[in-house]
Amino acid sequence: MNRHMPIPILAVSMLLTLPVALGAVETGTQASEPQPQAHNNHRGPKQLVLENGLGAKVTLWKPDLTTQPVTPEHGMFTMPKTGMDNYHAVIAERDWGNLKETVIRYEYQFGKPSKRSPSELAGTVKTDFEIIPDPIPREHYRYHSNETWGFLLRLHGEPAQNIPVSFESENGSQMKSVTDERGYVSFRLPDDFPDIVPGERDRRSAGFTITAETENAGITYQTMLTADYRVAPEHWQSTQLGLLVAGIGLITGGLIGRVKLQGGKKK
Amino acid sequence: MSSIANLSVIRKLVQIATFVFFVYGGLITGYYLEDKISNALPALSCAYDKNGADLCTLIPIQHQMDHRLGEAIAKGGNLMMGIMPTLITLGTFLLFFVFLNKAFCGWVCPLGTFQEFLHMIGQKIGLNRRESLDNGLVNRIRPVKWFILLVLVFGFPLLTGMGMVNHDLGDPFCRICPSRILTTLATGDSSQVFVDTANSTTIFFSLLADFLFGLMVALALTVRQPFCRICPMLAMHAIFRKIGLLKLVKSGTPRCDRCGLCAKACPMDIREIHTDMERRDVTFEDCTLCGRCVEFCPDKDVLKLKYTFFPVFTSSPEYFKSRKKAQTKWEKANLIDWLKKGRGKPQVENP
Ligand code: SF4
Ligand code: SF4
Repeated sequence: MNRHMPIPILAVSMLLTLPVALGAVETGTQASEPQPQAHNNHRGPKQLVLENGLGAKVTLWKPDLTTQPVTPEHGMFTMPKTGMDNYHAVIAERDWGNLKETVIRYEYQFGKPSKRSPSELAGTVKTDFEIIPDPIPREHYRYHSNETWGFLLRLHGEPAQNIPVSFESENGSQMKSVTDERGYVSFRLPDDFPDIVPGERDRRSAGFTITAETENAGITYQTMLTADYRVAPEHWQSTQLGLLVAGIGLITGGLIGRVKLQGGKKK
Repeated sequence: MSSIANLSVIRKLVQIATFVFFVYGGLITGYYLEDKISNALPALSCAYDKNGADLCTLIPIQHQMDHRLGEAIAKGGNLMMGIMPTLITLGTFLLFFVFLNKAFCGWVCPLGTFQEFLHMIGQKIGLNRRESLDNGLVNRIRPVKWFILLVLVFGFPLLTGMGMVNHDLGDPFCRICPSRILTTLATGDSSQVFVDTANSTTIFFSLLADFLFGLMVALALTVRQPFCRICPMLAMHAIFRKIGLLKLVKSGTPRCDRCGLCAKACPMDIREIHTDMERRDVTFEDCTLCGRCVEFCPDKDVLKLKYTFFPVFTSSPEYFKSRKKAQTKWEKANLIDWLKKGRGKPQVENP
């Protein structure tokens, strides 16, 4: 019962996503709000779907950089409870000899404070060819449409330079770019959710994939990062109106200051 | 003492340094929450500022009331587990707070610094500023910070967790906090100035936040520390101020009766510094340990800032004289007087 995700152009045939019930609708406070230290709208076990993943080796990377094998059943698995708070990485790898495929997904798990920064998880080499969010949305933040986010590509731990990279969203948007000398590439997440009602809060989310392919020593490496993004809050939050109201506050403050000063002790 | 090397100048330099550090220091400390210094700072260094070096203690408390304690109560869960994260947050807060006590307000808080600098701008433009607010007004304002602490930081978030009010009331203080708007604007991010039309709660709080921010900016030009007077962090500090190592102490003399310069100098209009002749520890609930009262006390050793048993700054007639002179010089220099002088009109002397 996975979500419909078009197979990306640079085909990594596997796909790692949230099942539709978790991915499409989430309850709780607005995603734009930071919620450090306490946050349990979805503290229950998290399920992931691995599509076309026959023969793949799946590994869970914990915030403390230890790993644990995961065995999907019928293409699905529940993220093992690690008791650690913070981002975990799930990596599915498949080795065809002259072709190595990898899919990575970063998921937040709740538990006791891990006291480890997600920068450690991101910085560690977890597979031959990987796409790393740079940065991963800060703890409890989310990707939103209309925001620009960066990604680093690493081959055997070194920056993968001048590599074509493709972005594809569940809502049908496609983009292409090329990594720079740092292996860095960025995409402005598309504002492509259908049927948006202006002024109404919209809690939908959808998946996106970032894929890349390169060759090294006769081996083709294909890699993919999957993640979810949400509707941009600016559809129901108006900055212009906010500035107007702040301006009214400013004028009111000025008037109060003037009136109160008449006859008051001045400096 | 050189007329510019005074406590206020030193404090301003510390404030600028801490402002830069707490608003932009995330570029050094790191981007993730785990990289931040305490995640429970006793000052309004805002979590919404992604470049910040730390975050204030009020945000975890609101979320813990909502998601931990409130939910534990609602689900009949283990209350001890529900309250534990808050105890850890409070413990971290106290670990920091004990060192500087309420000086986190007078020396560290980015929002406090911002208001002080706005007031300096008001003075430099030549606006008529309020020396002190009326006692009656000060008395009426004082309970507001307790109300905000109890209702917005603890009350509504707890009721939200218990499922008794809508989810947008899970973090109501953050929704109106001017530091959220200030610190994000300071990093070039205007996304926190908005009117949120999702529902009536979000409309109300977003309107209030923007209005309050504008109001604070305008008032700060002519009134000292307008937001600090209602800040729930000031109330949090007030609860724990007795355990802080830095203190304001007084050895009143009969001459105090005829003076009152300390209370006039106080940016928070704490007249009790002048009138209270009983207490030795005069770190009152609104005090920010800025030390201005000590600077402007003309009497020897009457007011002191003490760190544990050691006096770190003491009032003295010599310091007072030189400080008063520096203040008069500082206040004389303002744009309106300068323009008037330029046009050949007689200069209006500030008292
Ligand atoms: S919005 Fe205010 S209360 Fe909330 S985290 Fe920021 S500074 Fe603290
Ligand atoms: S009282 Fe003022 S200085 Fe203290 S935390 Fe609040 S805003 Fe900052």
